[in-house]
Amino acid sequence: MASITLRELTKRFESVVAVDRLNLEIQEGELITLLGPSGCGKTTTLRLIGGFETPEAGDILFGGRAVTWLPPERRNIGIVFQNYALFPHLTVRENVAFGLEMRREPPAAIRQRVSAILTKVQLAGLERRYPHQLSGGQQQRVALARALVTNPAVLLLDEPLANLDAKLREEMRFYIRGLQREFGITTIYVTHDQAEAMVLADRIALMKDGRLQQLGPAETIYRRPSTPWVAEFIGLSNFIPGTVAARTDGRLSVRTAAGLFACSGDVAAGEVMIMVRPEALHFGPQHPNRIAGVVRERVFLGNLLDYQIDGPDGMRLRVQADPSRIFAPGEAVEVSFAPADAWAVGPRAAGP
Amino acid sequence: MLLILPIILFLIVFFLIPYANMVYMSFLMKPAEGAYVRQFTLANYARALGDPFHWKVLRNTFWYSILTAAIALVLGYPVAYHLTRASGRRRAWLLVLLISPLLVSVVVRSFGWMILLGRVGLINQLVRSYGGPELALMYNPFGVVVGLVHVYVPFMALAIAGALQNISPDMERAARSLGAGQWRVFWRVTWPLSLPGVFAGTLLVFILAVSSYVIPILLGGSNVLVMPMLIVQMLLDAFNWPLGSALSMVLFGLTGALLWLYVKLLNRALRWSQP
Repeated sequence: MASITLRELTKRFESVVAVDRLNLEIQEGELITLLGPSGCGKTTTLRLIGGFETPEAGDILFGGRAVTWLPPERRNIGIVFQNYALFPHLTVRENVAFGLEMRREPPAAIRQRVSAILTKVQLAGLERRYPHQLSGGQQQRVALARALVTNPAVLLLDEPLANLDAKLREEMRFYIRGLQREFGITTIYVTHDQAEAMVLADRIALMKDGRLQQLGPAETIYRRPSTPWVAEFIGLSNFIPGTVAARTDGRLSVRTAAGLFACSGDVAAGEVMIMVRPEALHFGPQHPNRIAGVVRERVFLGNLLDYQIDGPDGMRLRVQADPSRIFAPGEAVEVSFAPADAWAVGPRAAGP
Repeated sequence: MLLILPIILFLIVFFLIPYANMVYMSFLMKPAEGAYVRQFTLANYARALGDPFHWKVLRNTFWYSILTAAIALVLGYPVAYHLTRASGRRRAWLLVLLISPLLVSVVVRSFGWMILLGRVGLINQLVRSYGGPELALMYNPFGVVVGLVHVYVPFMALAIAGALQNISPDMERAARSLGAGQWRVFWRVTWPLSLPGVFAGTLLVFILAVSSYVIPILLGGSNVLVMPMLIVQMLLDAFNWPLGSALSMVLFGLTGALLWLYVKLLNRALRWSQP
């Protein structure tokens, strides 16, 4: 197992900068997700770490050792692709044994290790089948077994669950997490699905346009996004525009169209957006920050009701609340939120 | 369904009927005067299959064709490989280079080879100017195979490229991640997965080479005799339509048998792609 360090990593394709001076430290045994929209550079970063692309500038280190110029076959990695990339002309057993054969392990050892890992991923008995004779979930587990049987220093996963149906995807998320914890292997997981990232990761690396937007545990990114873009990408957000009136000890007082609101934030002064999550807006005056408005729309989500509310000065709020009280469209309501649930970020226009 | 009618009619008129006619012809008798008489006989087949000379010609025909297919494979595979790895403009240019010779008639291309390979051709002129001996590059099997390979390599390359296209690049990345260097990736992953294309290409080139007439006759002259040439001689020079037809049937039957064996082998090697 090894830690991974990316230093000023840069990759260009013709005129497009896919990865822009990326700096990232990944701890040994950690599972970090690279999360972001299409084209943000997460897959390219994964390929650079794997050695399938060479960077224009920067370094990649495994456990302090530079691997930047090593080809993939010398980096001791395991990788699982979105389409599994199982060898169709080999049986399950031969697929999993491939890496051990490349390392010229003795046949007896290969047999034993392949059997052991196939039992571990619950595929014992399917050794002589060919990939096209397996279900999606089974192929997925063969791909995992194949990548892990060689005890690589680093495990790379490129949207491995994207081809599975929703229910299977959820099961496999926990399964992969469990396997990763058990093997204790440093893992990089690329995904565009933020729910997946939040379930799996020790830390999330949120990327956009080849640059790191925010790095941290899911909760930190969710509750304390560093920019409006991050706030919008993760979960749903309400943004209330305002101006900083006063600041004491990281506590802010912001003047908005609905009055003076207390919140927290890293901004010192000027124009801000107060970010409040829909579930943090509550019906009733119990919290100090209050807004009066009218219900425009209501949607039933099963365990929650999703409201769209018109506030003062064209403010549009999204509220998610439990079904204990139901408000009808057209009804006048008051919503409030706690200062601890409000986070001020710089305005949208400036961007990250 | 109706749309398929024109091509079926075409095939029936220009393929099935002439073919059936030839089968019929092969059982007729050859008279002293004229091409044939409507009398049933098996003598043609007796002669076709009994004459050791015919067997020699058949052997040579198949041998040159297998050689052509093998050499076309060796030359065509790298072309297909680079074609699949190229992209955009480079790929378009490679494709043009590969296919444009096919726009030139086989006869013209054969004459081109005669200019290169002949006794006083360009190659010999160059060799002799350096004091070398006169090389016999034409009017022999060598010249014929050179011509055949040249014409059929594009078919081989395209057939193989088709199969190589279907190999996902992630497959090779996976192999490399497991510790395989470039060569082992090729032998253990790329080559086996390209076999359907290799089989299709060799099959196609073999069939085309067996039925070649122009190239052997122009580049082989009277020193090389392949079955199509023998059959045409029999039909036009000897005016013996029944025997010519019987020889055609023998060639057809034997080629069919060889291909059947080849396909059996093919299916065994590709059993991983069977459901």
